[in-house]
Amino acid sequence: MAEVATREFVPASQAAVQDTQLRQALRRAGSGFDGTRREAIAEVTPEVWEGWREQARRIKEHTIAHLDYYLAMLEKNVTAAGGRVHFAADAQQANAIVSEIARNAGVRTVTKSKSMVSEELGLNHVLEALGIDVFETDLGEYIIQLAEETPSHLVAPALHKTRGQVAQLFAEKLGVPYSDDIEEMARVARIVLRQKFLDADMGVSGANFLVAETGSLVIITNEGNGRLCTSAPRIHVGLAGMEKVIPSLQDLAVFLRLLPRSATGQRITSYMSMVTGPRRPGDEDGPEEFHLVIVDNGRSRLLQDPALRESLYCIRCGACLNVCPVYQRIGGHAYGWVYPGPIGSIVTPGLVGVAQAKDLPNASTLCGACRDACPVQINIPRMLLHLRHQQAESSDYNQRTASDTDALLARGFASVMSSPWLLKLGRAASRAMAGPLAKDGKIGQSRLPLLSRWTRARDLPIPPARTFRDVWRDELSRGRG
Amino acid sequence: MGIPSDDFLAMVRGALGREDAPPVEPYAPLLDDLAALESQAAAVRERIAGELPGLMTQVADTAALRGWNVARCAGVEDALDYVVSLAGRLGATSVARSEQEVFGAMPVDSALAGVGALCWPAVYEGAESRASVRRRLEECAMGITGADYAVAETGSVIVLPRRGLSRLVSVVPPVHVAVVRPQDIVGTLDDLFALRRLEFYRNGAEGGGDMGSYLNFITGPSRTADIEQTIVVGVHGPKEVHLVMLEQE
Repeated sequence: MAEVATREFVPASQAAVQDTQLRQALRRAGSGFDGTRREAIAEVTPEVWEGWREQARRIKEHTIAHLDYYLAMLEKNVTAAGGRVHFAADAQQANAIVSEIARNAGVRTVTKSKSMVSEELGLNHVLEALGIDVFETDLGEYIIQLAEETPSHLVAPALHKTRGQVAQLFAEKLGVPYSDDIEEMARVARIVLRQKFLDADMGVSGANFLVAETGSLVIITNEGNGRLCTSAPRIHVGLAGMEKVIPSLQDLAVFLRLLPRSATGQRITSYMSMVTGPRRPGDEDGPEEFHLVIVDNGRSRLLQDPALRESLYCIRCGACLNVCPVYQRIGGHAYGWVYPGPIGSIVTPGLVGVAQAKDLPNASTLCGACRDACPVQINIPRMLLHLRHQQAESSDYNQRTASDTDALLARGFASVMSSPWLLKLGRAASRAMAGPLAKDGKIGQSRLPLLSRWTRARDLPIPPARTFRDVWRDELSRGRG
Repeated sequence: MGIPSDDFLAMVRGALGREDAPPVEPYAPLLDDLAALESQAAAVRERIAGELPGLMTQVADTAALRGWNVARCAGVEDALDYVVSLAGRLGATSVARSEQEVFGAMPVDSALAGVGALCWPAVYEGAESRASVRRRLEECAMGITGADYAVAETGSVIVLPRRGLSRLVSVVPPVHVAVVRPQDIVGTLDDLFALRRLEFYRNGAEGGGDMGSYLNFITGPSRTADIEQTIVVGVHGPKEVHLVMLEQE
């Protein structure tokens, strides 16, 4: 399995906030993706959009509630089409399955189209250890493979890199002259990877959807690398989390409407490829073998908990990342594992274990922007609260994390907030105390206990002279209430 | 290696706390008997026929928005002129095409030969090896295919690779030309999948069907925005795509 660095969340996010290049990249990408997403929704009208969301939600609810039934149907139909389905309980099994397929077929070169599951498995390193050359072919994935990094976003893996950084990387690793012209860099990647496509023995892809009724694997891409990976090599291996199945071909339509619009604001992607088994006799081309690897790797933990089950409805569009005030400040790497952002803060604890990822559910303002943006109406804030609740209930938390100061603060806050005169007094006192610390109406970096963590990365405004209560009372007395 | 499917499915069932049984209430009335599917498909076909002129305009307009160069051609003569002048502009000497019905009525080989371009069917049957067909595909200036469907809702062309239709003709050359006939046009994604479901069940015996090994759903040129969200066309697939619409065959 891919290395888990979720315990480092606090220092990693602190470092990320200080990274100005990263902040610039995040601002550009976040506003860009979310802006086009909103335009795309306005174009179809919010009413139609809501109808699609509800339809998609119902499909996911039904399928996940009967997941065993639809997985069995999928297996039967992939097999009938001449393909082979493998089931992996964990990353180790999945990697062993793919390694065995590669070994049996004497595979020397693999081309890969983007697959978050393969990131989760750490598959590339496993294949490379067998002496197999592995090439990521999605441009963003190729960039981060060359840089020996991991994706920082679900749909735009190299979002954190500037064009200058990519140009530098290409010059170093590919020996091409330095050019930060984006068109030129794409051309270089096309030339280098075209040869790999034609040489590869095995293509590995992810799956956006699996259609149980027909035994089909569906991938959605813009570059065409998915088409080449699934068409040119003599073996195709598809990797999918077990939650990717949908019942029927009819159900696919609504997801094709929702996914590109939510991910990048595109009305539809350039390509959708539907693979049903290997090439048929008489087909001009296509792989001789088709394998589908269905992966659990912790998903059954999410399935088992009714409160977390809906996290498996996720279609990995990344819309929740693009609207999240936390992701937008710290980027994807700080989250410490494959799935970042709001949905990652639920999926990651589920997949790597809650104990490893305690900070993630707490890294949210619970503002609800993620829930509003989610094309399948996943109630992310509710699940984050559920995970926090679980933490608070655990004996481990009570002993270790909840210090006496926290308890005292919580009790103090409760009594102030439940007494109008204490609130008034507290406000006056806090203003009086904040005055000497403030400059231009704000408290900058402070060394005082409690204040220091808050002010490390942001200013604290001092309470205003007139409060909402003052305004309210004055307006009422003027008879405008 | 992995675990047997029975064990895996039992584990899933355990997590759900469910018995081994079909859903009590199917999510949607999924038609799977042929007669019902055929009447559903007939209704789709009838609606399309009634709206065809409007749908053709919608295909053209939406496709143009999605990056296709759209040429509406009164007949095969116009279409051949368009393809020939395109080949001339590209300076094409080699053009790959599929072997599809549409080229029976539309003799692209002879038309292109007139401007010095060799138009050849990218099929493996015959003298050449697979590797040599691929090499020739790599070197040719454009690939021409027909369309199995064109979807008005999305401005997309669907090709179903099979005998005579390589998966690679529409993706390897830098320019792709798709020839669409009036009978290829459907309105929505729902129309498309209703028709494909009918084919699936029609092709199968005893409830299992055959989809064919591949469905290619193409909307505009290949593109990427992976560096600074700047859109570049033609990264792995074609950078230029043409939708040649025959108003009548």
